[in-house]
Amino acid sequence: MSSHLRLLALVSGCLCGLLVGCSQIAPLAGRVSPPRVAATVPVQVTTAPLAAPPTCLNQFVPHTLPHTTRAHGDAVHLFESNGAGVAINDLNGDGLQDIVLANLDGPATLLWNLGDLNFRKESLPDEDTRAVNIVDVDGDGRLDIVFTHRTASVSLWRNAGPDAAGEYPRFVRETLPTVLAPAYVMAWGDVNGAGSLDLVTGSYDADLSLALGNTFLFSQGAGVYYYARQGDGFVPQRLSAQSQALAVALYDFSGDGRPDIVIGNDFDSPDQTWAHEGDAWVSRVAFSQTAHSTMSLDWGNIDNQGQAALLAADMKPYSLDVNVIARWLPMMASMPHSLPKHDPQVMENVLQIRDSQGRFQNQGVNRGVDASGWSWSAKFGDLDNDGFLDLYVVNGMIAAELFGYLPNNELVEENQAFRNTGQGRFVRAPAWGLGSTASGRGMSMADLDNDGTLDIVVNNLQSPSQLFENRLCGGSSLEVELAWPASRNTRALGAQVELHTSMGTLTRDVRSGSGYLSGDTARLHFGFPDGATLYSLTVRWPDGQTSLIDGLAAHTRLFITR
Amino acid sequence: MSVRTSSSPSRFPLLTLLNPGELTPVLVVALLLGILVGVLQMAWMGWPLWAASATALGVVLAPATLKWRADRRRYGVLVMVLSVLVAAQTFHGLEHLAQWIQYHILDWPGSRSSGLISAANAEWVHFVWNWSVVLVVIYLVRGGMRNGWAWLLLAWSVAHALEHTYMMVRYLQVNWELEKLGFQTVSAQGLPGIFGRDGWLARSALTQGVWYCQVPGLTTAPRLDIHFWWNVGETALLLIAAHTFLRGWFNRPAANS
Repeated sequence: MSSHLRLLALVSGCLCGLLVGCSQIAPLAGRVSPPRVAATVPVQVTTAPLAAPPTCLNQFVPHTLPHTTRAHGDAVHLFESNGAGVAINDLNGDGLQDIVLANLDGPATLLWNLGDLNFRKESLPDEDTRAVNIVDVDGDGRLDIVFTHRTASVSLWRNAGPDAAGEYPRFVRETLPTVLAPAYVMAWGDVNGAGSLDLVTGSYDADLSLALGNTFLFSQGAGVYYYARQGDGFVPQRLSAQSQALAVALYDFSGDGRPDIVIGNDFDSPDQTWAHEGDAWVSRVAFSQTAHSTMSLDWGNIDNQGQAALLAADMKPYSLDVNVIARWLPMMASMPHSLPKHDPQVMENVLQIRDSQGRFQNQGVNRGVDASGWSWSAKFGDLDNDGFLDLYVVNGMIAAELFGYLPNNELVEENQAFRNTGQGRFVRAPAWGLGSTASGRGMSMADLDNDGTLDIVVNNLQSPSQLFENRLCGGSSLEVELAWPASRNTRALGAQVELHTSMGTLTRDVRSGSGYLSGDTARLHFGFPDGATLYSLTVRWPDGQTSLIDGLAAHTRLFITR
Repeated sequence: MSVRTSSSPSRFPLLTLLNPGELTPVLVVALLLGILVGVLQMAWMGWPLWAASATALGVVLAPATLKWRADRRRYGVLVMVLSVLVAAQTFHGLEHLAQWIQYHILDWPGSRSSGLISAANAEWVHFVWNWSVVLVVIYLVRGGMRNGWAWLLLAWSVAHALEHTYMMVRYLQVNWELEKLGFQTVSAQGLPGIFGRDGWLARSALTQGVWYCQVPGLTTAPRLDIHFWWNVGETALLLIAAHTFLRGWFNRPAANS
């Protein structure tokens, strides 16, 4: 009998070991010595100190913004349920970053940042807007506003310079003559290396089909388009006749140092990818596994080494709680389960990370970011200034067709914040106070009070937009703005910036937008722990030239002009 | 009260136990008849696979009952119970094998890969079945089937039943919530358990970042695979434990009591 007891003890011991044997994923070592950089192009560098941070509270403080994205009619139906985006950038060059919020049943809103998180509201009479980016389209040095729409192509709100009072810029609504295809998503960047901004757009055919009815069948313009800048116009090239695009990323998946195109498609339409081959775009299969209904795309260097990881957000309950599961099940039961077994699409967030053989592997489950609810905008940002990119995902759904069995047809969910442990994984951070239950869609991050921390703006559907003021404690930061006035890519979209520190090399890039329908600021934010030594900053400009800046100080803004 | 026979020692006592003897022709005919009836039901009457399988099983059950009655007369209640368990668990394992083949070999979607008797692929059936196995194993151990493999079988079957208990509790909780939402027809059947993809081990805050989250399958395999391997282990342990026990049983001198 004693041998039997020993056997039982062995089995029990194994089970207990399974439950308590915690060994974290091995920490990833960062580079700790300053690198050597080849010849550089000269730049002019000026600095300004960041404001003293307010008393820290170890959490974010929510503020309501004077804008509400509303759907037409009393109830929200597909696909107005997809809401609208938000963009942040310094539109009037006063050093305070402004906010533009798209809208469906009503005008878009421009919020001029007056400092101390006070804003002055201005309406932009452009309805049924979806994505919004703030970029210098015409290369005149002034930032313009660009919207996509439910059924139309992009509209440009050209910055025509200061108004009569000389205080705020005037914006004039224009169309881009050859940019005609319906556009739901867009990305701007110097894609072909010609020194000016090119444009990639994708249509959301499900919405088009619903809005246009039978006429959609005879329309010519849907799908994915690449518009190459040529002189004052754009030369369109149709890359695909169909798309269900909810997200687009100019992400270098081929590893050749040039931006490639990734289109994140809804439903069971596979994501689409194109890479450069000479001057042509070639459709490539880049990933062995992708998200099923890709809602959002963002990329960032999550372990401060190697290449940026690409995150595609999808729909998957973030909790095993019975209340959460029960609210999802009836909707899931009504969906067709027709995906073939070997289909590369999985219904969860997918985190693409290159392995040692150069192939992308989905690390979403292993890194702890596979489930964030009915996700919309999902973005990386160093929210706690510890030197590692964290992740924030807004979520929720309102649609009479899908959730008619829930109050107000709404799947209420808490937005999900994930803290990067610095050891290769993310853990949920509910204590940060970012678990808003409003139905978030567009979301972007920027330092709105110039205190060196990333604040967050969310464009909710059917409830007021929110600003989450970052009042987390600890860490420091450096903020970097690039200017390249001699080119037509005046904000150096596509530039890669590396900050070399004693904790490793932190990497950021300048981009027009990411996540879901949301535009990004041109001001890059680097967080790092208090006490980290800043060695130097390397700027790899879009044309491949590099600049090296040293003599850096923490808690400053850096203006680098080429 | 058991009655041991003076049957000759066997190198494969399980085969001795399972040998239908004079009932072999009846069992073979019943099996063929059952399959034939099932196929005809599917072909002519459009019955689903599970109904045809259940019919075939029902036809075979009659001669099988005769065989177990004979076991009781020949070997006693304990060995008869073991005989029933071996047959039933083997069939249960085959059902999971059928699911595995449907999913991995035939490439059916997971929702359709329900084995031969899909109607029995219900949470409460799994729950009742697995705890029944535990009770029977306890009975066998108490009756004399005491060997290392039997204890391992008991531990394995209890662990398996505990996972089904977790699933059953969640099934009832979610169904209760669904009823509150007004749904009578939507079922929580098929939710993950402790192991596998989206299971407790994969998603609980307590287990985030631990090494076994990297073990292939443990937190990534679909439910179908997890329960296939649970039953492969359970069936294998049962067969080995029964073999070890019966070898001793058959080799003991005959006695009447």
